[in-house]
Amino acid sequence: MSEPGTANRVKTIADLYAFAGRGGKLKKLVVAAAQDEHVLDAVVKAREKGIVEPILVGIKKKILELAGEHHFNLDGVRIIDEEDNIRAAEISVHLVRDGEADILMKGLLDTATYLRPVLDKSNGLRRGEALSSIGLFELTNYHKLFVLTDGGLNIAPDLKMKMAIIKNAVFFMRRLGVEIPKVAVLGAFELVNINMIATTDAALLSMMSQRGQIRNCVIDGPLSFDNAISKKSAEFKGIFNEVAGDADILLAPNIESGNAMYKSFVYFAGASPASMLLGASAPIVLTSRADSEAIKLNSIALAASIDLSDKTG
Amino acid sequence: MLHKLSELEPYLNEHRIRCRLVIPAAKDTNVFNAAIAAHESGIVDITLIGDEHSIRRLAEENNYDLSDMRIINQENPAEAAVQSVRMVKDGSAEIIMNGEESYYGATMILRQIDDRRRGIRKGSIMSHMAIFEVERYHKLIAVTDTVLNVAPDLSTKAGIAHNAVFFMRRLGTEIPKVAVLAAIEMVNEAMPATMHAGLLSKMAQRGQIKNCVIDGPLAFDNAISFDSAQQKGIVSEVAGDPDILLAPDIETANILYQSFVFFANARVASVVLGASAPIVFTSKLDTDETRIASILLAAAAYVPISYR
Repeated sequence: MSEPGTANRVKTIADLYAFAGRGGKLKKLVVAAAQDEHVLDAVVKAREKGIVEPILVGIKKKILELAGEHHFNLDGVRIIDEEDNIRAAEISVHLVRDGEADILMKGLLDTATYLRPVLDKSNGLRRGEALSSIGLFELTNYHKLFVLTDGGLNIAPDLKMKMAIIKNAVFFMRRLGVEIPKVAVLGAFELVNINMIATTDAALLSMMSQRGQIRNCVIDGPLSFDNAISKKSAEFKGIFNEVAGDADILLAPNIESGNAMYKSFVYFAGASPASMLLGASAPIVLTSRADSEAIKLNSIALAASIDLSDKTG
Repeated sequence: MLHKLSELEPYLNEHRIRCRLVIPAAKDTNVFNAAIAAHESGIVDITLIGDEHSIRRLAEENNYDLSDMRIINQENPAEAAVQSVRMVKDGSAEIIMNGEESYYGATMILRQIDDRRRGIRKGSIMSHMAIFEVERYHKLIAVTDTVLNVAPDLSTKAGIAHNAVFFMRRLGTEIPKVAVLAAIEMVNEAMPATMHAGLLSKMAQRGQIKNCVIDGPLAFDNAISFDSAQQKGIVSEVAGDPDILLAPDIETANILYQSFVFFANARVASVVLGASAPIVFTSKLDTDETRIASILLAAAAYVPISYR
């Protein structure tokens, strides 16, 4: 088992860029349905920064038109002409599966079409128990990088799904160099209330962690948001543990709270996170149209800097 | 329309608002300090209900001037809650503030408000509304319901919206804009939050929820950013400019509240609505600024409105 040393630890979003270029060999990023101005812009910039080598799958004519219009330099970039989005997604996934590409990124197609070939049992990229989305945040008012999950993919995760989401995030954080990530399971408040499933799920997940059913992490919950990120707040409530106030991972109770939290960090706290999907054998970038250029670039840098190969637990 | 919480005091003075604030189970210094500050601004007169002996000792220790406050000796906190509600009912108080910053204290007051015979329920729903001043938003913005309704169904959400709209009108917004939050902006059968939001929008269009414009489902970014809404092709007067964010559930509302405060350095004031008087519940973790602003916010319930 590899013990990640502090030298390998990602401490800031900026570190992602340094880690992405490390090791000499550029990661190949394949974009499914690449005929999108904003995605192309981010990918071209990432290439110029020396983070990734792109492969574009999509409507070649449209891609070249956009490149001409916006002065994107696509010299030497491999473009695979495919008009059909379903096929474009399949081709992209197969390139990753066959080792010709390392990272999958979404272009101009809907999420279901994009993910269908990823989830395919025999030809896809499944690795974990489920796919989940994470946002990696650096915020002025918090003392370290942290992950928020799941703000975009799983609608109303049940206990089993929450376990899978935690496992994905813990695996991810360990790869970023946090050996035993601290997981705060959020509820509306810190007490177990049988009428609030978020709180009972949280308590069960904590206990499962204590019993070793979820490994390589410490879980505490239910915690309200302030208990999770502020020691003072937690101690006021009489909560004294190593997670409260120092969480590496915030697990949202449902997609509504996860999504609103993600966006409140971005829009009201000025964060530019890096986000990706976990649970596949390769990094999957799924940025939305509304995401800023910085978020798109950060997300590519994250995907390029993380090693998801299955060498340890 | 107010843009900062500091505008509350001049706004109330402009409307010559003076309210009688009753504080049952008066014992926490945090509450005293805030009430005295609100009193000094000329907005509230204060009645304290509690153990008079301890109140006077506390006043001595902290140099409070109790000379123009009414003190009702009542050692039993539950009975103090009963008396405070009775004062509202018989017209001798306009705001109730919890004198003991605890869940237990709040519960006792809520129980009295709910009492069929002696209570002071007005609408069908009691709800909590917090109002934020956030640097990155162009006006005050309310989030509801952070505290009281755990998993509101459609009719409860309509009640929560009604309460918030009623109140925002007192703050000077004739037709408040309500954004009903969900994770996405589309109606999706697998996500009840989106269906509720769609239904509430239509109910407002049909006049079933009055004096407001409601739009939803909206994701948080669509709700508070024009650009984000436009990118999604959402055409609405609410998107990018809401006065009220109606949260899908207590988890979302609570997380938004704390994230605004802890990560976006927001100022906040909050009030409980749905009784014939506004109720102020503060917590030990609130700042003095929040406590004072919450009292002033409650007083705004009595600002007369010229529009119908």
